[in-house]
Amino acid sequence: MTGVAEYVHRESPIHALHPITKLIWSLSVVTMSFMFTDLMGQALLFLSVLLVAGLGRVLRETLPAFKALFLMAGLFTVFRVFFIQEGQTLLTLLPGTGLGRITDVGLRSSIELSCRMVVMAASFPVLLATTAVKDLVVTLVEKLRVPYIYAFMFVTSLRFIPTFLREMDQIAMAQRSRGYTGEGRNPFRKVVALAPLAVPLLISSVRKAQRMAISMETRGFASGTRSQLHRTRFAGRDSSFLLIVGVMFVAVIFIKTKGI
Amino acid sequence: MIEMQNLWYAYPSGQTVLAGLNISIKRGEFVALIGQNGAGKTTFLKQLNGLLKPTSGVVKIAGMDTSRVKTAKLAQKVGFLFQNPDHQIFLPSVRQEIAFGPKNLGLPDEEVEARILQAAEAVGLTAVLDENPVFLSKGQRQRVAFASLLSMRPEILVLDEPTTGQDYRESIEIMEMVRELNEAGHTIIFVTHDMELVARYARRIILLRQGRVVVDGPVREVFYRPELLTATGLLPPQIVRLALMFGENSPLGRVLSVEEAYEAIVGWGGVAHDRCG
Ligand SMILES: Nc1ncnc2c1ncn2[C@@H]1O[C@H](COP(=O)(O)OP(=O)(O)O)[C@@H](O)[C@H]1O
Ligand SMILES: [Mg+2]
Repeated sequence: MTGVAEYVHRESPIHALHPITKLIWSLSVVTMSFMFTDLMGQALLFLSVLLVAGLGRVLRETLPAFKALFLMAGLFTVFRVFFIQEGQTLLTLLPGTGLGRITDVGLRSSIELSCRMVVMAASFPVLLATTAVKDLVVTLVEKLRVPYIYAFMFVTSLRFIPTFLREMDQIAMAQRSRGYTGEGRNPFRKVVALAPLAVPLLISSVRKAQRMAISMETRGFASGTRSQLHRTRFAGRDSSFLLIVGVMFVAVIFIKTKGI
Repeated sequence: MIEMQNLWYAYPSGQTVLAGLNISIKRGEFVALIGQNGAGKTTFLKQLNGLLKPTSGVVKIAGMDTSRVKTAKLAQKVGFLFQNPDHQIFLPSVRQEIAFGPKNLGLPDEEVEARILQAAEAVGLTAVLDENPVFLSKGQRQRVAFASLLSMRPEILVLDEPTTGQDYRESIEIMEMVRELNEAGHTIIFVTHDMELVARYARRIILLRQGRVVVDGPVREVFYRPELLTATGLLPPQIVRLALMFGENSPLGRVLSVEEAYEAIVGWGGVAHDRCG
């Protein structure tokens, strides 16, 4: 089972890049999408993200994430377009009433904003699909000097999300088998109705955390200074990749200031 | 009581776990569902009270089609004991925990109270009714979960590995309770990896393998076809293996328990003695 934005283990030039390189790329894409205001620029930027995904051989795995992004952007456009009433009317949903008026300015700016949303978020599924979380953590610790214990906590909490969801499922099933329906009309009742789900989840999480603490301690967690078995290194390909990103960046700034 | 017709089930992830089951279970049966881990036993059980609905095919419980009826309604007919009692315990006393189900059924207070006492008595929890279940032992928590089902008085009891994590004596105690319920007319379906318990308590075996029924029949017949069991990595009880070594025509015949073997040997000894004499 592969979820959205999960690491895909594969050999590719993008996988081989240093996590920091990919982080920089990701942030650059976000920044550039801020600077572009026109659709053409956004489209090009999005294509470049697809190209990286293609090079990383994770296009198929990241496709669901892109689809979800487009869906969200589409919905966003539909909602927003009715709130901008300047400009010429293109279409009125309820003719004669002036309700549901869509204007050229509204349509344009809504689509632009949605596209920017898509492009801004698009690099992250690619980053996560080509970079193992543990490598990201090692990098955070090694290169960015984040204390290991925080990095560890971050990874552990990520790793527990699916466990919690499964646990939640089991608990809901156990209570439904006892005639629990989760119904309640007024807000107070609704909160009370959550107790059969929330309390077992809390108790079993605490139990789990205690077990984990014990098993970590018995294996010597935090007993001394740490070293890493696999060190990450910058290589020639990182420089090349960053150079390309840098050139793109400069080009974008150039185009913006010259106003081409 | 329970009818499965060409039941297929696949999880949303796409994995097909139950593949074309046709099973009918009558009122008062005592069924052991066995098979390796991952064979689909838990998934099978969850079909019985509508926690999972068939992908295709039909499951009927006492005439109700599970895909049309809510689990909360089926809960009156089917009691489900989960592998982990901690998934359901949430109230601050054993008494309240046992009362949760009957209250969901909308029973009057006196009736609820009577059922609490009876269920607690049945599982030997009367002494700890006012304690917080969180602080009880795992074995006791399992009983709390069990009592909280019994108090709903379901006709069918579905037990997912009820004895796992219990010591030998506790296992026997639990199974004795189940036997009494069966004798009182409840239909029992339980999952276990302990073949000795199967031989001792169940009357029918359904052996699953990768979501299909390998064999479905009386315990004695299934255990005396060991090739079916070994194909799924299971071994019949020791006494059966012993009897199998002597072959079908030995005086042991097709015994299922040490007691039966004893009877058989004593009986045979008697015959042999007669012959000598
Ligand atoms: N919630 C779930 N989602 C997806 N697959 C599942 C889920 N629960 C169980 N499975 C899969 O279904 C198969 C059968 O599981 P299960 O019914 O729990 O087997 P058993 O109880 O016999 O050990 C296993 O391969 C398991 O991985
Ligand atoms: Mg199971």
